[in-house]
Amino acid sequence: MRLNLPAYGSSLKRIKMPALILLALLAAAAFQILRADSYMPIAANVFATRFLGIFIEAAPFLLLGSITSGLIEVFIKTEDILRWLPKNQLGAAIGGACLGLAFPVCECGVVPVTRRLFTKGLPVSMGIAFLLAAPFMNPIVFASTYIAFGFGPVLVGRFVITALVAVTVGMVIGSFAKPENVLKPQSMHTHASPQPKSLRGKGLRVCHIAADEFFEMGRFLVVGSALAALMQTLVPQESLLALGSGPILSVLFMQILAFILSVCSTVDSFLALAFVNTFTTGAIVSFLTFGPMVDIKSALMFGGVFRRRIVLYLILLPFAMNLLAGVLINAVLAY
Amino acid sequence: MQNIDMTKDKSQLDWRAWAKSVILLGMGIYLTVLIVTGHLTNYINLRFAWLAYLAAGIFFLLGAVSLHQLLGSPSDEPPEAHHHSHITWRMLAIAAFPLLLAVLFPSRPLGVEAVNGGISLNPVGVSSAAAFSRSPLDRNILDWLREFDRLPTAAALNGQPVDVIGFIYRQPNFADNEFMVARFTLSCCVADAYPIGLPVRFDSAQNFPTGAWVRVQGKLKASDFGADFAPVVQASRIETAAEPDQPYLYP
Repeated sequence: MRLNLPAYGSSLKRIKMPALILLALLAAAAFQILRADSYMPIAANVFATRFLGIFIEAAPFLLLGSITSGLIEVFIKTEDILRWLPKNQLGAAIGGACLGLAFPVCECGVVPVTRRLFTKGLPVSMGIAFLLAAPFMNPIVFASTYIAFGFGPVLVGRFVITALVAVTVGMVIGSFAKPENVLKPQSMHTHASPQPKSLRGKGLRVCHIAADEFFEMGRFLVVGSALAALMQTLVPQESLLALGSGPILSVLFMQILAFILSVCSTVDSFLALAFVNTFTTGAIVSFLTFGPMVDIKSALMFGGVFRRRIVLYLILLPFAMNLLAGVLINAVLAY
Repeated sequence: MQNIDMTKDKSQLDWRAWAKSVILLGMGIYLTVLIVTGHLTNYINLRFAWLAYLAAGIFFLLGAVSLHQLLGSPSDEPPEAHHHSHITWRMLAIAAFPLLLAVLFPSRPLGVEAVNGGISLNPVGVSSAAAFSRSPLDRNILDWLREFDRLPTAAALNGQPVDVIGFIYRQPNFADNEFMVARFTLSCCVADAYPIGLPVRFDSAQNFPTGAWVRVQGKLKASDFGADFAPVVQASRIETAAEPDQPYLYP
């Protein structure tokens, strides 16, 4: 393809992007020097603060997920995975839901890891269950939930519902999709280069893969953080909260809030703690089960990696199931 | 085919690899600057500062490794470790966006401009499982709201002395001598920032502009404030204050 382009066009293209970035940076620097401190529009400054806050909080977890992805690529062989696999769908899905205990990642890191595992031949039901469950099913999030709520309905509810939803959605998608139909064609590619032999070579390769993964997934994190920051700057939280009463509406609104806030699953318990007195228990549990599965950032990452039909299933099924679970909890607690 | 592609792409890949290294190292430098200047507190709960340390370290490591491949001679590393990246200019540009914002905008904590939709006198999220009591003069705005939450009546705290720092927030329906002294609470990062405030009454309140940081001293007295009957600080003394090192309160 590229061979057919005239040399002039490709060299222009080659020069253009770095030059543009350089220009933008120079302009920014000049601007920084010239501007009076209060010159920037204030709403834009509030947006920048919110955006950078979400990005700074989430970037470490994306980096950890990227490094895990690199480690899997370099150190785990496809044959190993196939050997340890449970034979039937249900076993695979349950195994997938528990896999997070081995790969402690939150929702920013789980997508690159899942994609990597799919390219290594993981069955669909297992990968999907892992994708949805891992952001909660890991030691770090167990600990933060326990610290925030202690041992009680919230911790147990979060565990049971996450496992149920993840296994069910894994089975549903696994029942009709094959691994090669789940990922977009361009995310199916594996790194063709031969595996390095020396430990140093392996280490370098893990870093290279992790860096690439950061840029590939980072774009969704950046766009997702920007959307979340924009929503928060424009939509008053107060107006959402005011709507959040009643056994059904409260669950619905907490799920929407979880989607918009896009807070990392490792820390969302502390945030949920703040809503305990205002919202029904079912709403709190749904906030804690749905948020780690789907939020603005992860929905965008799904879109970048999975085919559209799978993305729809991945968003709508957990939304409906968590809503149902939250409403059921409220119904049970009310009687 | 593979071979042709690689030779053809060589110079272009180099540019991209340079941009990649610069962005990775730039992220590391940005986080380091935030940590050193203390501006990190403008963005996240200090409880999670270690995450930023970790991220800065990983960014430096990844940036150094990709720089190493660019600068080192090919014989310097095991040939099979040489890495051909498939990232595009668009990915690089998007990843550079946070750095661009960081350079463009001065680092500021959320202030009165970020109060979106008003400050409620009955805010959510102030009550905490951890009940504790501090002496009145040591209580911050969050502690006071927790006290209010526990009280049977608004008048139960009448006469207690108050000494708090916050920024001034006004609503159109406030009288000239009324404002709220407000802070943002932060559980995790600014994503969940939530404004809270104490109502204040002070005769020459107009002297202090909205958004200014002030120290308010006075006594509580339950009275009408807007549509509510609530504990209101009858201020005896208000002075401008420096913005605190930790601008947010952590529930």
